[in-house]
Amino acid sequence: MSPAALTRRARLPRGEGAWAWLAAGSVALSLLLLGGLLTLIAVRGLAHFWPASVSLVELDDGQVFAGRAVRELPLPAADGASGGRERLYFTGNRDLDGHVWQWVEVDRIVESDRPRELVVMERLRHGDFIGRLVDVRPAGQTGARTAAGGEAAWAALQARLAAVDALRGERDDLQHGVIQPLVRRLEKDPGDGAAQRRLAETNERVRGLQESMRRDVVVLESADGRRLLLTLDEVLRAWRPNAMPLPEKIGAWSRGVWRFLSEGPRAANTAGGVWPAIFGTVLMVMLMSLLVTPFGVLAAVYLNEVAHQGRLTNWVRIAVRNLAGVPSIVYGVFGLGVFVYGIGGSLDEWFFSDELPSPTFGTGGLLWASLTLALLTLPVVIVATEEGLVRIPDHQREGALALGATRLEMLTRVVLPMAVPAMLTGVILAVARAAGEVAPLMLVGVAKLAPQVPVDGEFPFLHLDRKFMHLGYHVYDTAFHGDDIQAAMPVVYATALLLVLVVVVLNLTAIFLRHYFRARHGALSRH
Amino acid sequence: MTKPFPASPAHRSPRRHLLDRLATGLIAAGGIGVILAVLAIGAFLAIEVVPSLFSGALGQEQITLSLSPLAWGTLKAAFWALVFAVPMALGAAIHSAVYMSPGLRSRIKPTLELMEALPGVVIGFVAGLVLAPWVERHLAGAFALLLVMPLGILMAGGAWRWLSPALRQRLPLAWAGLWLVPWLAMLGLAALELVPWLEARLFAGDLRGWLDAELGIDYASRNALIVGLAMGFAVMPSVYALAEDALSGVPSSLGEGAQAMGATRWQTLWKVVLPAAAPGVFAAVMIGAGRAVGETMIVLMASGNTALMSLSPLEGMRSMAAGIAIELPEAVAGSDSYRLLILAALLLFLFTFLVNTLAEVVRSRLRRRYRRLGDLS
Repeated sequence: MSPAALTRRARLPRGEGAWAWLAAGSVALSLLLLGGLLTLIAVRGLAHFWPASVSLVELDDGQVFAGRAVRELPLPAADGASGGRERLYFTGNRDLDGHVWQWVEVDRIVESDRPRELVVMERLRHGDFIGRLVDVRPAGQTGARTAAGGEAAWAALQARLAAVDALRGERDDLQHGVIQPLVRRLEKDPGDGAAQRRLAETNERVRGLQESMRRDVVVLESADGRRLLLTLDEVLRAWRPNAMPLPEKIGAWSRGVWRFLSEGPRAANTAGGVWPAIFGTVLMVMLMSLLVTPFGVLAAVYLNEVAHQGRLTNWVRIAVRNLAGVPSIVYGVFGLGVFVYGIGGSLDEWFFSDELPSPTFGTGGLLWASLTLALLTLPVVIVATEEGLVRIPDHQREGALALGATRLEMLTRVVLPMAVPAMLTGVILAVARAAGEVAPLMLVGVAKLAPQVPVDGEFPFLHLDRKFMHLGYHVYDTAFHGDDIQAAMPVVYATALLLVLVVVVLNLTAIFLRHYFRARHGALSRH
Repeated sequence: MTKPFPASPAHRSPRRHLLDRLATGLIAAGGIGVILAVLAIGAFLAIEVVPSLFSGALGQEQITLSLSPLAWGTLKAAFWALVFAVPMALGAAIHSAVYMSPGLRSRIKPTLELMEALPGVVIGFVAGLVLAPWVERHLAGAFALLLVMPLGILMAGGAWRWLSPALRQRLPLAWAGLWLVPWLAMLGLAALELVPWLEARLFAGDLRGWLDAELGIDYASRNALIVGLAMGFAVMPSVYALAEDALSGVPSSLGEGAQAMGATRWQTLWKVVLPAAAPGVFAAVMIGAGRAVGETMIVLMASGNTALMSLSPLEGMRSMAAGIAIELPEAVAGSDSYRLLILAALLLFLFTFLVNTLAEVVRSRLRRRYRRLGDLS
């Protein structure tokens, strides 16, 4: 036998038995589960923004409706025979039908097609409308339907909607930029005449804007022929999914994503965007990292560079490490008991006693939430920083000291700069953990719907006592405390996807940094 | 330019030394302060609860009555989580420590690390609102999947031996973690297609009704199995990471010795590596248990939160952590229910802290042992 054949033979693995395969299978299984979960969230979350086609369906009993097919299930089969399938349609029109979902047996569908003229309309109240557009006309006119119809009415609607949108933007700017600050000023000083005058003027302008938004009405017709009149200010957007070519759909999809990221929630969080939740999460996490970084680094430097390396220090080290494993809800309890009731209660008594019994700091808020999460993530930062400090070879420290540096100089000029990537890794890991943590926040200050963002133009600009919205809590609350969970699901999926993306990107950064750091230090310690 | 030795007088200036002393003192004070603050959690919980325990404000009966269902639920959820997580985590750890190719391993480890970072809310949402209703509708399919996955893996292993050597080199065991994924996915889909037919034959088309009628088993849509699966998914990566560390930390000379004497890699693992790493693997499982006991959102969203004390894995429960999250915001500070919930938090804290400390001690002993074993050879 040639040597080459021998080595090939030797490389062929012998049979390892069933257990080896089961072990390999568990890797495959966990990858499959992870992939399945991520795919599910990504597909459902992103599909939410896709302007899906709408079908006009006729059933065998003559009933006609328009809707978007959501999913299909086999019917429970009776005694072994195939029971056929049923399909769920989202039909919208809550105000006309009283419901937005319809289950239909597939066998009963006589005809189903996708006419171009079907319109989907996002409205302020009653959710979506699906049906036909008949006419757009000034509110005063009645009766005679303009001959235009069809494409002309559609073009008119688009033009009018753009105009109404501009008016709406102007109105919201006035409300946030002028009216709200004025109202708050008047709350403090009711006698302020100038403010009162300006408030009255602005209110007048807002009323005028609203009048002009209501000037036109749109006449709609549902698939089964019922008429509906809507003033244009009720309509947010309208599109004709069946008439949209692919590029236009992609455009609409990306605009949908952008609106989701930039707008506030509507309809009890089941529609609209998550901007306040993104803002709240980011702000809370930023405050937390501001708190956790210096303290974590301080504790790590103390443990590794200053403290006497004895048995006690070792015990403390183990204890700190173990605190990373203590359930987050316990930190929440601590935050509620110590920060909110203890410190917050005392602050209220000392500084805000004129507002009692309504609490200022004595209830959950941004500050307490960040403090609690900072405490929760301290062990992460301490452990990561210490790891970085341990990796710095002792000859670096000795070299600095031998050249006459004091310990402080050695720390600040030599040791800490080398440990920066490790600290960064720790902080990023802490941020990733904090961004996904919900349980403690439920106790110390997250809100289902916070009308006021914690940052605004009013002194002191950053309101640490306000409650805030959080992406993770948004997922929990929307999924479990809504009226129509089915309708809320797309928003929940999209929010969950966003949260997962944030956490995954943060973790990838941390992994990359650690990798880079290790590679560099491997090179350092060889010299 | 080099400075003359000894150092110039500026280096000896008292101001610099004072600054140094001051800074060191500040660092020490700050460090001790931070560490005390972190450690204060246990102290706070104890101070809130212990006096009322001794003064009799919280009666024995009241405590057992309100906390035992929660404790039971916690243990039940953690148990089922471990039932799913431990075999998978240990299997994955063994495979990646012994068989997996280093290239794949350096990719898989961070991937599973990412899995650990997935927020509990997201997993809980998928488990409670997607998985639970799906399993309720496809109960037979879900059970079939639980059965088909291990069988499918074994089938793949059996079939692999009969493959042509060329194909076998194309699909080595070292990469099995990857190429088994499509196989399992395919098998799972096939099983789901076949199951309704089997269900119609065996259980009159309705396994859930059959369970109820024949065995008297009640099926709750959000139950311990769902919680176990979801929480197992969440706990598995941390168990995997620690167990893998323990297994791959065993000095390679030990395994090489066994292999030189003709043992297969599995025999080496089973007889040499695993006994040496057993304490570390045990510690990994302990830390997993600590995680499972304290996980809040998954149990809150996927368990139905009914404070039942039943053995059946097909019924729901309520855990301590979930109970705290639901009830504490409404409890009045200082009231009995508030103290009871704090007591629950204290129990959680003590349990996880003790378990983690134990695991940490075991691991540090193990590290010392490895060093000794490594030195011997």
